[in-house]
Amino acid sequence: MNNTFFVFSNKNIALALGAVLAVTLPSWVGDQYQLHLAALICVYWILIAGLNMVVGYTGQLSIGHVGLLSIGAYAFAILAGKMGWHPAAAVVAAGALGGLCGLALGLPSLRLPGFYFAMTTMAFALIVNELVLAQVDVTGGGIGLAGPVFPAPFDSPKGFYYLAAAMALVVTLLSWNIARRMWGRGLMSIRDNPVAAQTVGVPLFRVKLVVFVFSGVTAGVAGAMFASLQSYITPDTFVFELSLFFFVCIVIGGRGSILGPFLGTVILTVMPELVAPLAKLGNFFYGLLLLAVVLIVPEGIGRVFELVAERLRPRREKHEAITPDLPRLVRAIGCRR
Amino acid sequence: MLTVIISGLAIGMLYAATALVYNVMYSTSKVLSITTGHIAMLGGVFGAWFVVTLHLPWVLGLMGGMAVGAAFGWATEVLAIRRVLNRGDEHLWLLSTLALATMVQQGVALWWGTEPKPFPRLFAQDFGDGVLDQKYWLPIGIAAMMVFGLELFYRRTMYGKLFLAMSEDAFAARARGVSTDRIRVMSYMLSGALGGLAGFAAGQLTFAYFALGMTLTLNGFIALAVGGLGSNIGALIGGAALGLLNAFASYWFGGEYQQTIAVGLLMVVLLLKPEGLLGSKNVRPV
Repeated sequence: MNNTFFVFSNKNIALALGAVLAVTLPSWVGDQYQLHLAALICVYWILIAGLNMVVGYTGQLSIGHVGLLSIGAYAFAILAGKMGWHPAAAVVAAGALGGLCGLALGLPSLRLPGFYFAMTTMAFALIVNELVLAQVDVTGGGIGLAGPVFPAPFDSPKGFYYLAAAMALVVTLLSWNIARRMWGRGLMSIRDNPVAAQTVGVPLFRVKLVVFVFSGVTAGVAGAMFASLQSYITPDTFVFELSLFFFVCIVIGGRGSILGPFLGTVILTVMPELVAPLAKLGNFFYGLLLLAVVLIVPEGIGRVFELVAERLRPRREKHEAITPDLPRLVRAIGCRR
Repeated sequence: MLTVIISGLAIGMLYAATALVYNVMYSTSKVLSITTGHIAMLGGVFGAWFVVTLHLPWVLGLMGGMAVGAAFGWATEVLAIRRVLNRGDEHLWLLSTLALATMVQQGVALWWGTEPKPFPRLFAQDFGDGVLDQKYWLPIGIAAMMVFGLELFYRRTMYGKLFLAMSEDAFAARARGVSTDRIRVMSYMLSGALGGLAGFAAGQLTFAYFALGMTLTLNGFIALAVGGLGSNIGALIGGAALGLLNAFASYWFGGEYQQTIAVGLLMVVLLLKPEGLLGSKNVRPV
């Protein structure tokens, strides 16, 4: 597996091109807003890469990760803004708190079957919003809090973009590391058949919990970055629809892949900006997309590309005409003649 | 204090009615649809539209609301359930119903507006009647009637028995010549009509509001899980417990922790008695 990494396959060339594009992005984007969007994609991806482990690989349909995002964002805004911590320390603390809350949420809810789990996580997101609204003196209630900026090299949009991109890269590498080895196989086996997974010795609950806590940490870190990027957070920022957005990104990208959800994130973030009517339709569009993907290609959009590629360039079937070895046949049958 | 009890009971009965809708769908398809709450939302919104905007008499409005609910139930089955059940992946129906629920909610938000709009009074009654107000008694009466009617339907009619047969063992029912696909469509239409009725009856309590769907989906599910999946009486008990708990909690602590308390109830019940109060053990899809 390690050897294939350096091979100049189409995929690796595309990845290298993507990396070059990502590094040089601040010098060729048109305006600050597009740079903001790029940073937003990176921040979303920090969360989605973690959530992908839970939804895409383990098949636990958590639709409440916006609650963890909100916790991370508020932790960062309170620690770095109100209490004057160094932002880097606040990001670490937000990640730790996100992981803790993920543990607290995962301990009871991961024991539950599919629909129960989805409903519990959704309720968790609602509860977080409720508590944020209720604790006015800590969180500012409905008025919200200012998200502090990072110190010197990262205080410009360009610097922040590089910081977010670097974090996204680290999270991607982490999740790739989980996915490609034994852990990833274990996770997928839980998704595809929990009973079979258990019989071959995958500790179901522990594996699910570890992955869920990992997604909690990434959600907390993403929340911290999100608070800094948006520069002001209110409970209205963390609506349930945002959770749905994360979820749709993974499902349309394809479950059980890392590149697919990443492309899903990029496309779904950029598309409403390019096509104005879609922005108005908003969640209707996400719902339609989710329904279409589930009904037509449950494997994700990546599968469509594969099918199209196969149609355009059909895989060559090897033609090997089998010529019978006649004399030998004659010898075998013909001894009686 | 009496007002707290009655209002809690009324909203609890709306949750119970939603739980009944879950039950009817679950009996034939083993699917817990996220669109369940949205059916009731549609009943309320279209009821208000028929009566207030189109000036129809409320009986026609009620029928219209139920018809819209039934149509949406049918659409749910055709769009989100049928193909997915054939595929046999356990999680896909969750995604497809979530997608449909999102589309309906957003569609109603675009068409109807995001503000809660008032629901018409059905009977001439003074606003000062307190606990005897129709907005409390309509949902309570309707939910009780729905449980009673469903019991009669399951016990006394051929189709009710077919529903039961399918909920016991769909393959065996199919082997005995039951057209399981048709029965499933019928159960979705029936549950849609019931959901529309519940949403219409509780309209004066909840107003015609597009975001009601998700709340009802969640709270109806909590009522269902507390009472026991598959049990109609359990749904009534669970709904009443949840409504009363919420009402007293907001009476004593203020209304800020509604959802926290509801989920707390769910967690306590799931930890102590995972199959719910009246649920049978083998029904729980673990």
